[in-house]
Amino acid sequence: MSTLETTNQSKKNRKFLDYDSYSSNAANESKYFLLPFKFHRLKSGNEVLVNEVGDFLIAENGSANRIIRREIDKIKDHKLYADLISGFFISESPIDPLIDVLATRYRTKKLFLNYFTGLHIFVISLRCEHTCQYCQVSRVTQNKDKYDMSRYHIDKGIELMFKSPNPNLTMEFQGGEALLAFDNIKYAVERAKPIAKELNKNLTIVICSNLALLDDEILEYCKLHHILLSASLDGPKFIHDTNRHKPHASSYDLTIQGIKRAREVLGHDRVSALMTTTKLSLDYPVEIVNEYFNLGFQGIFLRNISPYGFALRTDKAKYDTGKFIDFYKTALNRILEINRSGHFFTEDLARIFLIKMLTPFNVGFVDLQSPSGLINGVIVYNYDGTVYATDESRMLAEQKDYTFKLGTLDDSYEDLYFGDKAQEISEVWINESLAGCSECAFQQYCGADPVHNHATQGDMYGFRPTSDFCKKNMEIIEYLMELLHSDDETRKILERWAFIK
Amino acid sequence: MESQINGDCLEFYLDINLFSKDAVFKCAYWYLNHYSVDIKLIDTQFYKVVLKPKDKIDNLISEDKFVEIKNAFIDFNLRDIVSKETQNVRDLLTAKAFSNGEFDEEPPGSYTDPVGFTI
Repeated sequence: MSTLETTNQSKKNRKFLDYDSYSSNAANESKYFLLPFKFHRLKSGNEVLVNEVGDFLIAENGSANRIIRREIDKIKDHKLYADLISGFFISESPIDPLIDVLATRYRTKKLFLNYFTGLHIFVISLRCEHTCQYCQVSRVTQNKDKYDMSRYHIDKGIELMFKSPNPNLTMEFQGGEALLAFDNIKYAVERAKPIAKELNKNLTIVICSNLALLDDEILEYCKLHHILLSASLDGPKFIHDTNRHKPHASSYDLTIQGIKRAREVLGHDRVSALMTTTKLSLDYPVEIVNEYFNLGFQGIFLRNISPYGFALRTDKAKYDTGKFIDFYKTALNRILEINRSGHFFTEDLARIFLIKMLTPFNVGFVDLQSPSGLINGVIVYNYDGTVYATDESRMLAEQKDYTFKLGTLDDSYEDLYFGDKAQEISEVWINESLAGCSECAFQQYCGADPVHNHATQGDMYGFRPTSDFCKKNMEIIEYLMELLHSDDETRKILERWAFIK
Repeated sequence: MESQINGDCLEFYLDINLFSKDAVFKCAYWYLNHYSVDIKLIDTQFYKVVLKPKDKIDNLISEDKFVEIKNAFIDFNLRDIVSKETQNVRDLLTAKAFSNGEFDEEPPGSYTDPVGFTI
């Protein structure tokens, strides 16, 4: 103690506060001040506290009550007290001296708002040669003039895309089967690239395809223009071919062949794959994960079936969210096993949550943003010249539900992006102000999804007690928290997913 | 909290000096799926909250459910205390986060010599 006193005397004019100030009377009497935080009771019997920027602290049951009643003692509960101070849950002054740091962190979490719409989806054709059982849009095979996007509309879409202030734009071609209109893709790429150069924008081009029509000419073109490919792959052959039926051929064989060829020509990382979990898939979580791992992918995105369009037109295709969660947990456990055996292999939904939970950053993922990613992050130019807020919105439109139609490609940028419809949607796209979400401890990790609410519950605002979106996200986040606190090896694997770019 | 299982209903009497109206409604919201919820102010002293099951699902009227909902009222009241006590800080935080620097303050000390080597 004498050393400290001497140090204090000799260095009185240092910029550090004197030693005594770190044990002020106010703090000794536990007269600390609350900072904004939320809490949730975990099934494990603990509580999780989450602050305003998504940092979380798992504490024993009753901690939130004690904190709020000012019962945390600086000396007796020194570890918890220190965690609460350093984690911005409480402060020793009414306004925390580091409030600017916290504000900067809050701003960082909302950084996706800085740039506005980055993903511009061009539904280049509605035609498709597959007859997938869960198809979210439609299956038209003829009438090119009617179901392909006209060049006039391609020009208009490109014009609108470059009005976005975002310096990093993604132009994504979707279908139907986009490669059926490859001439139009070429036209669009060659129109857009010079404009991107002139405006100094980074333009990423993606073609979403089943790869069945991929040939050398297309691959060479993709290589020349640095185009990425995104394929659909639902798992092993027996699952994929059942889900994604192609008349007189195996869709799986064509997709695998396409992935291999694309990797050879474009590079291993230039082709990705996405799966959809159908009722059939629910029984094969391990097999699906193994398929992706054995094909050399670095991860998998375990996506539940979309409740849109043709996908859930029949009860036959629907399944309970609880079943998906069981499927997800089994698959995630298999993925962790793969990691424990020395391989880096991620689950993308978990990774999105983990980045939000463990890092100062956020992820611009449309479904898990607040304000929501629709319009702010993504917009869809449909084949017929209409404009929709998200890909899911145009799927609803195929069912004659035009709730999220923003207008047409003949409308002005301002009318589409800031018009009456956009303003109407904006009233329900912030989860901080939605009933059920406003008090939720996982608010910072989740998002608002007015399209999902409308499609599943009949209104954009949604009703959280019956929301499968809410149930799924809550369960998965809680499971990730349990895993993070299960053992060191698992924690390190999950941290690696979050920290590695 | 005077509460009871009353036949096919769960009844909670919440002292208005202890429970905020916001907390009571926010908590009740989460039970609207399975229960019909009735909230009344009794003698300006209590919120009487009655939950009557809408569906014939097991355990909607049970001791476990009763305890769960009782705890939920307490949790939502705690959440409401934090929310109201920290409203100003949250507003300040948001204003600072989305400002262009006009709300920033100079931190105490010197940027160039935070440890005091030159003294």
